[in-house]
Amino acid sequence: MNKTIELNETPIRTSKNFNINNITLQNVPIPEHIENFENVTIINESSNIIINNSIKPYNLSYGLGSFLESQVKENANQTLNILVNGKSNNELIIEFDFDEDNLNLIENIQITAAENAKATIILTYKTIENIQAYHNSILRVKAENNANLNIIVVNLLNNDSYNFISIENELKEKANVHFTMVDFGGKNSITNYYSNLIGEEANNSLDSIYLGAEKQLFDLNYIGELYGKKSNMNIEVQGALKDSATKHFKGTIDFKKGCKKAKGNENESCMLLSDTAKSIALPVLLCSEEDVEGNHATSSGKIGEKELFYIMSRGFELKEARKIMVKAKFNTILENIKNEELKEEIIEQIDKKLD
Amino acid sequence: MKKTNIEEINRNIYDIKNKDEYEYKIKKGLTPEIISEISKQKNDPDWMREFRLKALDVYNSLELPTWGPDLSELNMDEIATYVRPKTNLNSSWDDVPEDIKNTFEQLGIPDAEKKSLAGVGAQYDSEVVYHSMKEELIKQGVIYTDMETAVREYPAMVKAHFMKCVPVYDHKFVALHGAVWSGGSFVYVPKGVKVDIPLQSYFRLNSPESGQFEHTLIIVDEGASLHFIEGCSAPKYNKVNLHAGCVELYVKDNASLRYSTIENWSKNMLNLNTKKAIVGKNAKMEWVSGSFGSKKSMLYPMSILNGEGSKTEFTGISFAGKGQNLDNGFKVVHNAPNTSSVVNAKSISKNGGTCTYRSLVKVSENAKNSKCSVSCESLMLDDISRSDTIPTNIIETDEVEFSHEAKIGKLSDKTIFYLMSRGLSEEDAKAMIVRGFAYPISKELPVEYAVEMNNLINLELQGAIG
Repeated sequence: MNKTIELNETPIRTSKNFNINNITLQNVPIPEHIENFENVTIINESSNIIINNSIKPYNLSYGLGSFLESQVKENANQTLNILVNGKSNNELIIEFDFDEDNLNLIENIQITAAENAKATIILTYKTIENIQAYHNSILRVKAENNANLNIIVVNLLNNDSYNFISIENELKEKANVHFTMVDFGGKNSITNYYSNLIGEEANNSLDSIYLGAEKQLFDLNYIGELYGKKSNMNIEVQGALKDSATKHFKGTIDFKKGCKKAKGNENESCMLLSDTAKSIALPVLLCSEEDVEGNHATSSGKIGEKELFYIMSRGFELKEARKIMVKAKFNTILENIKNEELKEEIIEQIDKKLD
Repeated sequence: MKKTNIEEINRNIYDIKNKDEYEYKIKKGLTPEIISEISKQKNDPDWMREFRLKALDVYNSLELPTWGPDLSELNMDEIATYVRPKTNLNSSWDDVPEDIKNTFEQLGIPDAEKKSLAGVGAQYDSEVVYHSMKEELIKQGVIYTDMETAVREYPAMVKAHFMKCVPVYDHKFVALHGAVWSGGSFVYVPKGVKVDIPLQSYFRLNSPESGQFEHTLIIVDEGASLHFIEGCSAPKYNKVNLHAGCVELYVKDNASLRYSTIENWSKNMLNLNTKKAIVGKNAKMEWVSGSFGSKKSMLYPMSILNGEGSKTEFTGISFAGKGQNLDNGFKVVHNAPNTSSVVNAKSISKNGGTCTYRSLVKVSENAKNSKCSVSCESLMLDDISRSDTIPTNIIETDEVEFSHEAKIGKLSDKTIFYLMSRGLSEEDAKAMIVRGFAYPISKELPVEYAVEMNNLINLELQGAIG
């Protein structure tokens, strides 16, 4: 069934003529029969992390919209409830591999970190055959007082696939949640990310890289609401677009009344590698508290001629020089990934996409 | 230090009300009959009457904006869209009726005309009551007159430009303007003529429950230059007044135009104004804007850089106090190679006021080698106010250098401490920082307007900080 869906509404509207308040996707192939999704591999299970399939129903504060939210609630073919009860030094890796027999993943994941718990959790999504995959996911994260979570989400789907992710975080006192998003795949890759920093000194960082080619469309709607005193939200987005790829970055940091001494920063930088790529940004700061510090910065442009010239003068061809520049831009964020094998795979993808 | 709260600031001259005397006031509401009657009263040519009626149809077909401040309190059935003062257009202040002349004298207009202006237009309610320009400019072929005269005397030029830069379909209040416009200024600066001393139009709305819909059309021909100043104010009434003016600016190849505005409408005014400039090859358009008044404001001046090598700058400040919601900003479209834009926007919110900076930067596919730099800073003076920044940036070419920066914050404790250690009181230190914050804008204004802006800031700061 092909369907037109309106999704990923921004928390505050601006002029309708700017076409940024939401996104309309035409002819989205919504799977009618959702089979089981079997290709799930869990690596490095630890005694401090319990995984079961029991998730209580809840409504998202934002999310991608009612249609996709209902699809997860009613038709999820993967439900994972991950409870982090203590400190885990191993990285928990969950791999979802799409192939002919596992085309559609409708997924509901909840990660709860108990007080003082600590873990790194990596979720990867890959197409391992030449198929059109469909991925619609809700990922909900609850971090109790002093919990420390490092979550890495890697989208390496092919460019025919559809990728929809809704993420919601709730951070209690002194909780620290660090998200790294690697967003490379999908004909359309649409992400809604919302953090509710309710606790004092709660700290949320979101580091995100995207790389678009052909006619890929990325719609990234990142929202942070700061309620807790001295809470801190940091959004760092680095991306590159080639061919006719398009990116919409919608970043909102909302300082709510009472979040005294809170800090919020968002920085988005887009490298344009062709004259038909499009970069659209809506970096929003909303503020109803006086005693805060909020900054945002966005920039777009092509790779600096001087830097390219320098690299090429060292014997590299233009294409290689461009790859080096993109990788250098992404490197600070890629450093968050300690798993060398995964990092190599991401770098390989960068090389492949920029060929 | 204790904060003192002043509920309602005495805005001195700005709040002086004249008796609501007029020669003609159209009945309230918006119907084809009312529009035809305005047209008849104004002695419009046929094309203009038809234009108005078509604009009314467009108005009825468009929705209210689904974003920005809530405009539900606006009831067009309660607004008289045309009020003709009891005087004709005059070219000498002596001929202007006493009460109207007094108002403009207290606003300092005739005095400024003598000292530092090349020409002045003064509008009272719906009609321009005074227009005059220095003889030497007339000799150079500069035209500066009220819009009605321009429609009659320069029909070809007006017809070719009127609501072509801002089409009635742009949004609902532009369509409203097209239907009921009255007054405003027409300026034509011929090729190569440099008007060194500014022209100024001042708009005063005195009549309660009415609207002002002046139309400003400026054509700066090739290689010419102009500085145009617009001022506006109104006394405060309990019911809503509406301002939906329209400013269309044509800056032809190699020309330059600076358009400065000090807006100090009363705090019962809905200011839904539209301003747009089309900028030609190697031409320059500068906007300087100070926004202090209005209950609600939605104002986003726009530069369309259509000519290769064209440039625009926007320097603006908004200051929102109690009960005010100022949703202001800037729009720029880069449509040609080697174009550049620089945006410097500031806002101050205090005493429960809301400031929003809303903007659009669009760099089109053919705007190769263009540059755009946007900086916006917001200052919150207390924790009951609000400050939002909502910029949209659309970049459609790789040959571009684009950057946008925004900051929100409070007065720096360190700076206050430093100034106090130099002997200033806390209140003076804070006021000095706020004036310093606004300085990049005030320095762009002619000196008497910079003084007026500083006075307004001082007035607005009374009781707000401490």
